[in-house]
Amino acid sequence: MSVKKIETQKFVKNKFSEYYQEHSSSIQPPTLIKKREFGFLMFKGKVMVRHQSFKDVDGLTKSLKTLVPSDAYYSSAYYERPEVKMEEKSWLGADLIFDIDADHIPTSCAKIHDTWVCSNCGIAGKGVLPEKCPACGEHRFDEKTWPCEVCLESAKNETIKLIDMLKQDFGFSSKETNLYFSGHRGYHIHVESEEVQPLDSMARKEIVDYIIGIGLETRLHGLIEEKLGERKAHILTGPSLEDPGWSGRIARGTYEFLSTATTSDLEEIGLKKKVIETLIQRKETVVESWKEKVPWGLIKGVDHASWRKIAQHGAEMQSAKIDTVVTTDTHRLIRLNNTLHGKTGLKKMEVPVTGFESFDPFKSAIAFKEGTLKIIVQDAPKFRLEDQTYGPYKNQQVELPTAAALLLLCKGMAKVKEDK
Amino acid sequence: MAKYPFINEAAEYVKELDLKIEDMSDPILNRAEHRIEEALLYALVSTELRKEEIEISSFPVAVMMVASTADKLMKKRYALAEAKRIYELLEEESKDKILEVTRVFNWKIRTVDDKPPYEFALFFTNYLRNAARIQAKGWKLVNRVVLNGEVYLTKGNVARLLQEEVRVHIEKKLDVKEKVVLPQNVADRVERLRQAFTKQKGKIELEGFPKEVVISAFPPCVKHMYDEVASGHHLSHIGRFTLTSFLTNIGMTAEEVVNLYRSLSDFKERLTRYQVEHIAGGRGSRTKYIPPRCDTLRTHGVCTGMDEICERIRHPLAYYRRKLRTIKVKAPVE
Repeated sequence: MSVKKIETQKFVKNKFSEYYQEHSSSIQPPTLIKKREFGFLMFKGKVMVRHQSFKDVDGLTKSLKTLVPSDAYYSSAYYERPEVKMEEKSWLGADLIFDIDADHIPTSCAKIHDTWVCSNCGIAGKGVLPEKCPACGEHRFDEKTWPCEVCLESAKNETIKLIDMLKQDFGFSSKETNLYFSGHRGYHIHVESEEVQPLDSMARKEIVDYIIGIGLETRLHGLIEEKLGERKAHILTGPSLEDPGWSGRIARGTYEFLSTATTSDLEEIGLKKKVIETLIQRKETVVESWKEKVPWGLIKGVDHASWRKIAQHGAEMQSAKIDTVVTTDTHRLIRLNNTLHGKTGLKKMEVPVTGFESFDPFKSAIAFKEGTLKIIVQDAPKFRLEDQTYGPYKNQQVELPTAAALLLLCKGMAKVKEDK
Repeated sequence: MAKYPFINEAAEYVKELDLKIEDMSDPILNRAEHRIEEALLYALVSTELRKEEIEISSFPVAVMMVASTADKLMKKRYALAEAKRIYELLEEESKDKILEVTRVFNWKIRTVDDKPPYEFALFFTNYLRNAARIQAKGWKLVNRVVLNGEVYLTKGNVARLLQEEVRVHIEKKLDVKEKVVLPQNVADRVERLRQAFTKQKGKIELEGFPKEVVISAFPPCVKHMYDEVASGHHLSHIGRFTLTSFLTNIGMTAEEVVNLYRSLSDFKERLTRYQVEHIAGGRGSRTKYIPPRCDTLRTHGVCTGMDEICERIRHPLAYYRRKLRTIKVKAPVE
């Protein structure tokens, strides 16, 4: 690490330290703090200090103030002895955690603000991380991601779908379901209820598959061919809009897809030319038909196999793209509420579910509200914090409000300018 | 009670009689032995209701007899057969009787009559506990009607879920830590059963893999990961775990697996060795890990797409076993 980088890191750490000195009273301990494991990622060497445990919130805030970690975590799990090594902790149960991160969602910004450098050959690129390096085939990259508005909006949409499933299908109450902005590129939902605590990883995997729609069979949701009277003909019947659970979602997804689908959307899901023409021409009829009953098999020229493809795609649009690993892991460490995110200097914070649609993370999650800083920016995209937009910057010295400057420093896009 | 001897009332009944295994009459021992024999050899247990007290008492006696063996497979077989017996009986029962049995296991369940063909609504955690172990697509939560925390079920569905609950319940009873000491006459019966079972097992089980690793018998997902690592590419954490546990299970030594990872650019010998040995069961907890099942691999995006054999198995190791047979490599019989 260069001298400059170390200085910048020290500077950011000092800022984080100030924050924890002043805001220690806002640290919210998790429920049953004594049964949780805590972990702190340190600035120096990026090492994780694990297996910490605290009797009360005072011990926790004291540690935050003295250690000043870049990121602070606690276990979703409850343990008999959280302070001992993994095999001896004695697992008592765990909250049900969902993580929605822009990394797992295809977005319309195409992540053009993200850059990657191949760890092997050094070739660099922009946008979504390729599966392997186009030059040498390597799978490992150094990536720099950026929390853009489009990314966060996509994450919000997925979160809204998830909340709907958790409430309507799983019946979790608002009290049990807590929503948080992660401090970076997404949202977390913690479900805390005695009912879910004992669920093992296999049961949680089934919940994950439910949320993402993995293994969903439209056939098992009533999209079937029924024999019509005495005749040989079979007619396709299927779910309707107000059906509960996934049946209704398949219907609603299909409805939404067909109401807006363009020729190229329909091509993409692999429909035949003739079928596409018919669907586009008779769009009105299809959309209208939902009011009466259902459109399945209604239109001549759209065969059953095509309907099945449409329904499958409609269902996909209704699924919520959660991180599968986080939810199935019953020993996961998750970010502590009201602590700072080391990659942004923003804070993880609880967001009320009512009014979530108008939640603005670039306003509400700002931790540093006073003063300005002089920094030297190497390369940064245009961005917004509160109502002010900044950048783009390239190799220039700027004076920015503390939060904006810290964001660039944390992202490694800028260095501190010594003011002596 | 005779039909469902695991119900608490039946346990009370046996307690009240204060029966000790030393005092068991021959009819009870005969019936217990018969229960086990049927379970092991024919995978079913019949119900004989003519003599209720024999039927009730023979169940705990049979459990004790099976528990006294250290044979895991024997325990599994017995629990499964008793559970299947329950399933067949329950299918014919009234809704009320079914509710009564679910109460033994503290299920949150109610009857419904506004959503035919469904007759019951079961709280989803009770559902998942049992259904997650049943493989058919129709049992996946995503393919069920789920509303407000409840899963809608037919009577047949509930009976099938209860079968799982009973199976696990009996398996727990069989899994005793302290050694069960039986009187000689009972121990002789157990020994007879064990021998018959071993004979039977030899016929149906082909345990063990050939000494040599047969790459052409790898499932597509493992083959893909193997090729990736061999050409110096990195895998996700789950990918690494799957590949390592697969290889150590089919007989590759930890040393050989470590060497496979050697071509990675950030290879660290000590760390890799530690991790591989841990998975192979040589360190720490001493548990040997097996690869995740196919549906778990699908959830986490490790599955690369299924071929014909994949359609018929649920576990990468089962794929290997099956494929080996088709490429005519003889597996040594233990």
